[in-house]
Amino acid sequence: MDLESNYEIGPTAEFIQSNKFTRVALQFPDELLKDAVRVVSALRAKLRTLRESNAEQNDDAPEVGLFVMADTAYGSCCVDEVGASHVDADAVVHYGHTCLSPTTTLPAFFVFGKTPISVPDCVKNLSHYALPNGRRVLVLFGLDYAHSIENIREKFAEVCGAESKPEVQYANVICSVMNPSKGRKVSNEVQGTSDNNSFGTVSANTYSIGGLVWKLPEGHKMDDYLLFWIGSNNSAFANIVLTYNGCEIVRYDALECSMVTDLSQQRKILKRRYYLMEKAKDANIVGILVGTLGVAGYLNMIHQMKVLITGAGKKVYTLVMGRPNPAKLANFPECDIFIYVSCAQTALLDSKEYLAPVITPFEAMLAFNRGCQWTGEYVMEFRDLINSSPVESRNFSEEARFSFLQGGYVEDFDPQGLRS
Amino acid sequence: MVKFTAEELRRIMDYKHNIRNMSVIAHVDHGKSTLTDSLVAAAGIIAQEVAGDVRMTDTRADEAERGITIKSTGISLYYEMTDESLKSYKGERNGNEYLINLIDSPGHVDFSSEVTAALRITDGALVVVDCIEGVCVQTETVLRQALGERIRPVLTVNKMDRCFLELQVEGEEAYQTFQRVIENANVIMATYEDPLLGDVMVYPEKGTVAFSAGLHGWAFTLTNFAKMYATKFGVDESKMMERLWGENYFDPATKKWTSKNTGSATCKRGFVQFCYEPIKQIINTCMNDQKDKLWPMLTKLGVTMKGEEKELMGKALMKRVMQTWLPASSALLEMMIFHLPSPSTAQRYRVENLYEGPLDDQYANAIRNCDPEGPLMLYVSKMIPASDKGRFFAFGRVFAGKVQTGLKVRIMGPNYVPGEKKDLYVKNVQRTVIWMGKKQETVEDVPCGNTVALVGLDQFITKNATLTNEKEVDAHPIRAMKFSVSPVVRVAVQCKVASDLPKLVEGLKRLAKSDPMVVCSIEESGEHIIAGAGELHLEICLKDLQDDFMGGAEIIKSDPVVSFRETVLEKSCRTVMSKSPNKHNRLYMEARPLEEGLPEAIDDGRIGPRDDPKIRSKILAEEFGWDKDLAKKIWCFGPETTGPNMVVDMCKGVQYLNEIKDSVVAGFQWASKEGALAEENMRGICFEVCDVVLHADAIHRGGGQVIPTARRVIYASQITAKPRLLEPVYLVEIQAPEQALGGIYSVLNQKRGHVFEEMQRPGTPLYNIKAYLPVVESFGFSGQLRASTSGQAFPQCVFDHWEMMSSDPLEAGSQAAQLVTDIRKRKGLKEQMTPLSEFEDKL
Repeated sequence: MDLESNYEIGPTAEFIQSNKFTRVALQFPDELLKDAVRVVSALRAKLRTLRESNAEQNDDAPEVGLFVMADTAYGSCCVDEVGASHVDADAVVHYGHTCLSPTTTLPAFFVFGKTPISVPDCVKNLSHYALPNGRRVLVLFGLDYAHSIENIREKFAEVCGAESKPEVQYANVICSVMNPSKGRKVSNEVQGTSDNNSFGTVSANTYSIGGLVWKLPEGHKMDDYLLFWIGSNNSAFANIVLTYNGCEIVRYDALECSMVTDLSQQRKILKRRYYLMEKAKDANIVGILVGTLGVAGYLNMIHQMKVLITGAGKKVYTLVMGRPNPAKLANFPECDIFIYVSCAQTALLDSKEYLAPVITPFEAMLAFNRGCQWTGEYVMEFRDLINSSPVESRNFSEEARFSFLQGGYVEDFDPQGLRS
Repeated sequence: MVKFTAEELRRIMDYKHNIRNMSVIAHVDHGKSTLTDSLVAAAGIIAQEVAGDVRMTDTRADEAERGITIKSTGISLYYEMTDESLKSYKGERNGNEYLINLIDSPGHVDFSSEVTAALRITDGALVVVDCIEGVCVQTETVLRQALGERIRPVLTVNKMDRCFLELQVEGEEAYQTFQRVIENANVIMATYEDPLLGDVMVYPEKGTVAFSAGLHGWAFTLTNFAKMYATKFGVDESKMMERLWGENYFDPATKKWTSKNTGSATCKRGFVQFCYEPIKQIINTCMNDQKDKLWPMLTKLGVTMKGEEKELMGKALMKRVMQTWLPASSALLEMMIFHLPSPSTAQRYRVENLYEGPLDDQYANAIRNCDPEGPLMLYVSKMIPASDKGRFFAFGRVFAGKVQTGLKVRIMGPNYVPGEKKDLYVKNVQRTVIWMGKKQETVEDVPCGNTVALVGLDQFITKNATLTNEKEVDAHPIRAMKFSVSPVVRVAVQCKVASDLPKLVEGLKRLAKSDPMVVCSIEESGEHIIAGAGELHLEICLKDLQDDFMGGAEIIKSDPVVSFRETVLEKSCRTVMSKSPNKHNRLYMEARPLEEGLPEAIDDGRIGPRDDPKIRSKILAEEFGWDKDLAKKIWCFGPETTGPNMVVDMCKGVQYLNEIKDSVVAGFQWASKEGALAEENMRGICFEVCDVVLHADAIHRGGGQVIPTARRVIYASQITAKPRLLEPVYLVEIQAPEQALGGIYSVLNQKRGHVFEEMQRPGTPLYNIKAYLPVVESFGFSGQLRASTSGQAFPQCVFDHWEMMSSDPLEAGSQAAQLVTDIRKRKGLKEQMTPLSEFEDKL
């Protein structure tokens, strides 16, 4: 596939031109950095031709400044707004894999890239799951396959023919342009009335996760569906497995053209997270790792975490250290546990190598809220979490806390000072 | 039906000299619960007729079904002595009424933690021994436990009925058997002699041995017969008692006592002549329904039967007659009252064992004097599930002071350290309750010397605790109980329906509370683990969990999982080095096995982190041949800072070494918890820090650099020192007749067990076999053994030691390597071990 279409040079130029941006940052992940020069020159050329065609209208439009950003301090899936503001950019174009986390200040344009896929093979496999017993199937995919979903949908409809109509739902990509969350806030409030207890949803029957959005027919539950994931075994997929751990999930690997149905490894992650949560309950000093400066609401989240932790009678430190690694975290041996506040797809750090485990804000909420019990639900994106009222649920039960790590009751901080 | 009321009981509770707290202990199936029944019958809680069949103290359905006791159960009994029978009682007393707090305990070794808990709150023990099987493994174990707690024992030779009915043993032979049983018991007791407790051996002629038939509800001590014959022979009772045991013979022809068998046909041992034969005669007459002969005999003995009882036939008649003649309750209760100490006597010498604090403070004195006016000292030894689901009674013993409803108490948990606030709560007692058979009675207060159940504290006590008054902030806790078994068998449990998880969590909490031995924990992989003492124990725990604590929600259990240990065989073949992530610091280390016996010494707490360095180096130098200076250079123990591995500093003249000590220790704690082979705990490894090269700038040798490096170098030194796996091994004791031996040996062979002792029990056709059996192989062992010996062999398994597996886990295809792979798979790790090159760096 040629550079032009793979990097969506045309639409990108269109986006820049129509919004009249003058300084644009192009954010590349490490693995695409090699193409950066070619992309910039192609984009520059495209912008020039576009401007020339519009030259009659406003002659004095300055040349657009393009800046390449690489080696992102946090996860490369998030828009690096801080980096972009260094060059005073007024928009960011993000290339490659993304978590589509909302941005705070800058508009962003996402180029997912296009990974080739064998559509007939994919459809064949899909029909294998969807056709025989009329199961409800929901097709989810990695964003780099978004380009061929329409194709798959059509092909699949052809295969089924008119006589049977299997229940297959397809997710859509939210958008490839993102405006700062001020605008989103408003829409969130309008839609988010039923937000509190349904996880990973935007409204009653509309779900969204990792940039995908879909709507289920009235009366259907997520658990009724078989999830058919097209894409590689990456963090986006892990995210889906954790969030919808009640669903049956299969994965179509487009590179290998094969189905992967054994997901026990992924399921194990969930149990492991559960253990980490139990461990967190025993912690006395908690470190909050700031893992993002871009995702909307991160400050809010950090604040909420602090309130939660101090409320549970533990000490808290906030640490900003870019991407955490074992050596960095071992510099704080006092911390019994770390909470990693970051975008959904970088949040899971397997902590085997770490001296102290690293958990997500959602896990922290379960661990530090007395009386909170884990029922199998799992929330990764903290904009879903942020509204879900954790702090007020302070129905302090008098019982001493049972620690499974120590196999007995342990003393916790007592806010009311009941014990002498 | 109950002959006494809660008020009556409460009244006697104040007479501390008239209380006896005692537990019934024995080997499995020697008839504890059955015997207890007949005592309970005496208190009128159950009818005399059914005594022996009800098993009053087996309150659980599964106990009744299996015919074994699982939980220890307490019962308070009221007994009134006659003036006449008390006339020879020398000790202090307060009237004729006695309160006996009795605890029936399980005999199966898997539940011996229940025995430990029972012993803690009692002062005396009734040791029950089957007259045919004699002193068995568990008899010895519980006796040892009892004497360790300074519990005074009395013995009863039980199942006498078997002698008369089943085996039809002759008098002299029976005497020899009994004599041997008593001797065996005495041998054990003599081994654990304690100067403060005095002579704990039992003598029939002193009345500390009873002969009983629990099933038929009769029993006697020589006192009974001595009383009967004393007047006839015109000697006093104590003289008569001596004549009724030992080398005293009587010839009715000459009417003379001799100390040797004269050889004449009519000359018989006193015991045979005056105790055994009369009983035998009565039993035979009853069984043969020779009622015309029976009635005159009974009249002579002063036994009168009621009208309808005379209509009984055979066994029922015999049972009735014997119960009337020699009621078990009076013989046994009198023996207890006479020979077991009252709380006020017992606490005088038990205080040293019980109290952790200084023995001259007011709390120690209050315990010593059993002072009801002193500060409250109460030990909760176990938690008993209450009838309303999820709540527990805290069951224990008041050692000093009084506990009453509404009292605010200080709860000191097992991890409480005086002066700190850890594991300490102040709460109100909602109700104080005493146990009367199957039901509970609320009382206003309970004074010292008694057992009690408390309501309203269960949320703050896991398994045991010391309670005292709110104000007594200086009180030290009562010493924690030491269990003789350890939880080595584990299963992973999960719920069938994922959303039942909260129920499971809640259930596990309650299970952990209800059983002193079970450990509920969570694995690194997120699985919930239940650990118990043995297969049977786990089975019961799982059943309780599902039925009682989770309301029947379904659970899935894994196959039993055994935890292994990692150790090393030799010293590392070379000094290994690892570099820190920034490459500026280098740690050099070697691993070597600890000297034999040293890991055990650390386990027992003889050597540990809190020792006085001088004493420690003395032990290490004298017993384990350490260099005196080296012994001072132990940095730490691990895992959990107390485990049987250590780090020793062997460096010379390294700068900044002290700065990185904490980091190395942190790395060691981590690594020793999860060894390099299969992330099992390490055991018996000594890591020697040989040399350290550090960056001059402190910021480059922080914890972040050193902790991961220490962990890596520890792994590297472990791998280079011929790592081995240790597996847990049971000591199995089996008792079986000769013809079953073949079957036993073949099952043991199949299971990698080996017999190291085989002994015929003198005077019986039974053999005692002792063998070692790997815990891994023990699952289904009892079943197989039963099958291949047609139910004649019954094993008792107790964890004994860790044994090194000879095969090399690093050698592909070996048994140990396979095991390592299996464990890694189960834990969700990479199946391949991390290679040495990942841990060791080159200069």
